[in-house]
Amino acid sequence: MKRSLRWAVMLGALIALVVGLTACGGSSSNSSSTNGSKAGEPTKVDLSAGKKGGKITFLAAADIDYADPGQTYYTFGFMVQQAINRPLYSFKPDDTTTPVPDLAAGPPEISADNKTITVKIRQGVKYAPPVNREVTTADVKYAFERSFSKNVPSGYAGTYFSSIEGTPAKPNTGDIKPISGITTPDKYTIVFKLKAPQAPLVSQALVMPITVPVPEEYAKPFDAKLPSTYDQYVAQTGPYMIQNDSKGKLVGRKPGKQITMVRNPNWDGKATGDYRPAYLDGVTIEEGNDQLEVASRRTLSGNGLMCCDAGSPPAQVLKSALTSNKDQIAFVPSGGTRYIALNTKVKPFDNLNVRKAVVAGFDKNALRQTRGGKLLGDIATGWLPPGIPGFEEAGGLTQGKQYDFDTKPTGDLALAKQYFAKAKAEGVPIGSNGLYNGPDKLLTIATNADPGKKTAEVAQNQFTKLGFKLQFRIVPQDTLYTKFCGVPSQKVAICPNVGWFKDFTDPQSMLDATFNGNNILQQGNVNWPQLDVPAINDAMKAAATTPVGTERNKAWAKINDMIIGQAPAIPWIWDKTALIASKDVKQVPNGYTTVQDLSFSSLK
Amino acid sequence: MLSYIVRRLLWMVLLLIVISFLTFMIFYLLPSADPAVLRAGKQPSPELIKVIREQLGLDKPWYVQYWKYLDRLAFHFDFGTSYQNQVSVKSQIFDRAPATAGLAIGGAIVWLLIGIPIGIISAVKRGKLADRLAMGGALVLISAPVYWLGLVSLYLFSKGIGVWGVFDGAGTYPNDGSNLFNSPFTVAPTLFLPWLVLAASFAAIYARFLRGNLLEVMSEDYIRTARAKGLPERTVIFRHGLRSAITPIVTILGLDLGILLGGAILTESVFNIPGIGRLAVDSIQKSDLPTIQGTVIMGAFFIILLNLLVDVLYAFLDPRVRY
Amino acid sequence: MPMLEVKDLRVHFHTDDGIVKAVDGVSYSLDRGRALGIVGESGSGKSVSSLTVMGLTRFSKTVEISGEILLDGKDLLKASDEEMRRLRGNEISMIFQDPLSSLHPFYKVGDQLVEAVRAHRDVSKAQARDRAIEMLGLVGIPEPRKRVDAYPHEFSGGMRQRAMVAMALSNDPKLLIADEPTTALDVTVQAQILDLLRRLQTELDTAIVMITHDLGVVAEVSDDIAVMYAGRIVERADKETIFAAPEHPYTWGLLKSIPRLDGPRDEELVPIPGRPPSLITPPSGCAFHPRCPYARETHKTIEPVLEPVAGRPDHQVACLLPSDVRRRLWAALKAGEKPAEAVAAVGIPGLPAEGTPATEELQP
Repeated sequence: MKRSLRWAVMLGALIALVVGLTACGGSSSNSSSTNGSKAGEPTKVDLSAGKKGGKITFLAAADIDYADPGQTYYTFGFMVQQAINRPLYSFKPDDTTTPVPDLAAGPPEISADNKTITVKIRQGVKYAPPVNREVTTADVKYAFERSFSKNVPSGYAGTYFSSIEGTPAKPNTGDIKPISGITTPDKYTIVFKLKAPQAPLVSQALVMPITVPVPEEYAKPFDAKLPSTYDQYVAQTGPYMIQNDSKGKLVGRKPGKQITMVRNPNWDGKATGDYRPAYLDGVTIEEGNDQLEVASRRTLSGNGLMCCDAGSPPAQVLKSALTSNKDQIAFVPSGGTRYIALNTKVKPFDNLNVRKAVVAGFDKNALRQTRGGKLLGDIATGWLPPGIPGFEEAGGLTQGKQYDFDTKPTGDLALAKQYFAKAKAEGVPIGSNGLYNGPDKLLTIATNADPGKKTAEVAQNQFTKLGFKLQFRIVPQDTLYTKFCGVPSQKVAICPNVGWFKDFTDPQSMLDATFNGNNILQQGNVNWPQLDVPAINDAMKAAATTPVGTERNKAWAKINDMIIGQAPAIPWIWDKTALIASKDVKQVPNGYTTVQDLSFSSLK
Repeated sequence: MLSYIVRRLLWMVLLLIVISFLTFMIFYLLPSADPAVLRAGKQPSPELIKVIREQLGLDKPWYVQYWKYLDRLAFHFDFGTSYQNQVSVKSQIFDRAPATAGLAIGGAIVWLLIGIPIGIISAVKRGKLADRLAMGGALVLISAPVYWLGLVSLYLFSKGIGVWGVFDGAGTYPNDGSNLFNSPFTVAPTLFLPWLVLAASFAAIYARFLRGNLLEVMSEDYIRTARAKGLPERTVIFRHGLRSAITPIVTILGLDLGILLGGAILTESVFNIPGIGRLAVDSIQKSDLPTIQGTVIMGAFFIILLNLLVDVLYAFLDPRVRY
Repeated sequence: MPMLEVKDLRVHFHTDDGIVKAVDGVSYSLDRGRALGIVGESGSGKSVSSLTVMGLTRFSKTVEISGEILLDGKDLLKASDEEMRRLRGNEISMIFQDPLSSLHPFYKVGDQLVEAVRAHRDVSKAQARDRAIEMLGLVGIPEPRKRVDAYPHEFSGGMRQRAMVAMALSNDPKLLIADEPTTALDVTVQAQILDLLRRLQTELDTAIVMITHDLGVVAEVSDDIAVMYAGRIVERADKETIFAAPEHPYTWGLLKSIPRLDGPRDEELVPIPGRPPSLITPPSGCAFHPRCPYARETHKTIEPVLEPVAGRPDHQVACLLPSDVRRRLWAALKAGEKPAEAVAAVGIPGLPAEGTPATEELQP
């Protein structure tokens, strides 16, 4: 080869390297499209005793986001947290609506004015080595305080706990400061005083990992760093622990490669009232299995494996597994709604009748096919998905019955035209064919990865059928959220790939952030339709203080109805996740984390 | 020679700086995700975003950020800390380099062992059945995507999910710190299928390349001379023909190895081998600029370094080349 | 018995375009210690016939060879590959036109000589190296002990060709074939190489076949000359006869196209018009007729045979012109007349009217 040619080749390689690695961050996940007619009914959770001992390997695509309980915020991180730590409250695998006391000794006591929450914790819960001491409520207090500091940016502390008195409006800089609203009258009691009567929501949110105790004297040096390095030194209280060394460093966690969990020698479930049976002797999480098809096949035909953190197995694997190894599959509702947001601040979606016409005319079934069809989800009719309190009160699978435009899963063009006609009367440009006829090209931001990309393409089709002209752009999913749909100033008209999934099981957590006009943010906004209806905002304010129970559920179900009436988006699927395990594994899905519960699963 | 190498090394540094700059600019100019918002959670307060932005150093103007990055890199050989998990990028790259190196070097040996003999046989048996079969097969392998080849090989030959479970499959590469260089006997079996898959298309390319080269060389005047001397045909082919035909192989081998040492993304991904390629992919998905930068610079470093090595090696292989 | 006798040699190559008759019925013989010059344009078959003597054309997969090549009575065409290999570089050796491309660029000159020696002699490397040095000295390379370790690119063109000669002679061959050995060299070096060949020929008593397109070169070295055209020998005689009394119009053309030291200073050089003929579909009749200023209509159909000139058994020519006409034409040409003038002066019966040569369509 000539030298000049070789230089050209080398330069080409370098350019490809730079551009390839930085520009096209498109990840290809597996597409799934199946007309599976068998209902993927949520699997009944079998909590009968499992065999003690043995180890399981969990095949994961990527690393957990954080091991630090103050920072973790994603399903997979929760799954690990659920095994290595005890928050105040948590969910048994078979009941996702009622949290059970975990580190707490009993249910939270809520004052009559909804402004004080008192929690007592169990005695004798000990940290794993090297901390080894008993957990006190001071550790929970510190856990909150650190989560409000600059060094430990928590994704949700401000969202759910800013009503606690003394929480800073913006994260503390420098030292971690005490929060006046959190007090510990004794070693086993903690009291939260609230600025507003928000106790129902806050008490429900005590299942979040922010309530996992953090031993201040041990964590302080790590938390002093910016950002905190506690993530690599987490003190653990659960039945399992990520393997660590004598300094507490989590040597068992090799980012992007593997997490090794072993039994926590200081854990005594019986003595400390832990409901987790913890059958297994250890769990290894093998990361890097982003080839979902390979991972799911390995799991189905291998031994001692569970899969997957990144969504359901590809449809073809799932389909064949449903016929041959049915008992190796479990379905759990994901506890979320996927929808196509219509920006109510952008023409023509600022017109209610246009939005109603769109919702009426959309073929949601076609959208659902892009995610695996009936097997992997029900058609969404509202924003309170199965498994969330208020789901039944809102009408179950057929929410918003009173609105004709919300009831046709395959779309109703005639009905859409009726609403377009009403919009025409209000000055919206409607053509002679009865469809939208505006000149504007509507900015649509879709994800570049399947199956979301396919969904967006189907949506694009549907919009075009209704007469809309789109300026269709595809970007990576993260870019979609952080640079476009989450930034109101971008004036994105249509976001076909948004969805909201539960943090904990409270109806408020499903609707408040996403549809309350007071929650529109200039960055990281999640009220994607930018719905701002005073009646709804006020109703939410009132319902927030309603005590946990049927009343509360009814109140939020009513708000759900009001939102549906505004047609701010097209809800189209309440998805289910298919979990798979090897033949010799008895997998127990946890309805809260929507993945397997490592403390309940066992070897057969 | 020495001054040549020094000059080339200086060029390398300059090129790496340019590349780090390009990476940096592409990351900033193209609509990738905002790392701060990405890490701030579902419904972040503006304050939180600001805090994280400061934490990641993203609040400074780009040139300050870039200068800081360069300064750390140049004077402390520090690639910074991953946005994702606060682990130093350097340690992650060093941690993963042996897996990629084991995959690439082993793969290269495999494809040389397969490609060179096939290339020779094809050239010698030009036009015969063996040649046609080999070249036809090579064409198939060249056109087959590595990804597809990987999946097929897994479904056919890997223990667990293969029809004939003979080789270790995906996810068997050990994560306990052992690698091909410190424990070859435990690691080599897990790399066997990946080597074959990685080597397949390269072996095919090398076989075709060598065949073409050898045929061309065999019509050279000095081959006629060698025959006119009465040398046995074997000597003519191997000592005179192959010696010339194989020299350019060193060049493409250097380039290919350089590219692969920066991460054999597809093979690593299919077989779940924790190498630099997978680190790069993960970091892209998480908009983890320091890690992206680190992997790009390491990749570029290997490409340029191997290119330099090729040039130096050439001086030994071809006496006409002098620097 | 002559040392080398080539009888009716035909070398045909089967190509996609048709059969290339590179050599098409060549016969000649050569005695020990004699030098034969084979002269012709490129494509005349002179190289191919010699490569065939070396057994080098048999490596081609498309070649078809017939006839006989007798070396000391043994038919080389019937010899096995291995037998031929033993002969090559040993009994018969060859040097080529371009010494730079003919030496392997990656190996030291000495090593390439050593290889040649050890291909045929069971000697140690050290002995072979001594022989290499001796041969380099013999061909006039200064400081051979030092130069033996140089690479070809470190040699000058002349030195490379000397090294080639050294390599070819290192096993004391009976026959040395030199294929355009001086074409790639500049004039002064050419003369040196030719001197060297002549000296070695007498010193070592090696027979030489000198292949060239340049009559000047054969004049230096050869005893006998064969002129080849379109795969055949068209004239053959000893050197003096060829220069003094050539019989074939093609030979005349060659002679008139080179400067002669004994010719007048202002002598005009006349290139032979036209291009060498196609070897796939050679012209009918006399293959030279399209370019021959003296060709008659009948020459397009009748094939001439190589036969002795009347009264001179050692001078053979393949020409259809009557012997006396040829002599008068040559006399006229020698006197400095142009072909057309010569034709007019001599008056050739049977030529087309107005004396227009049949070469009209091939005029350059």
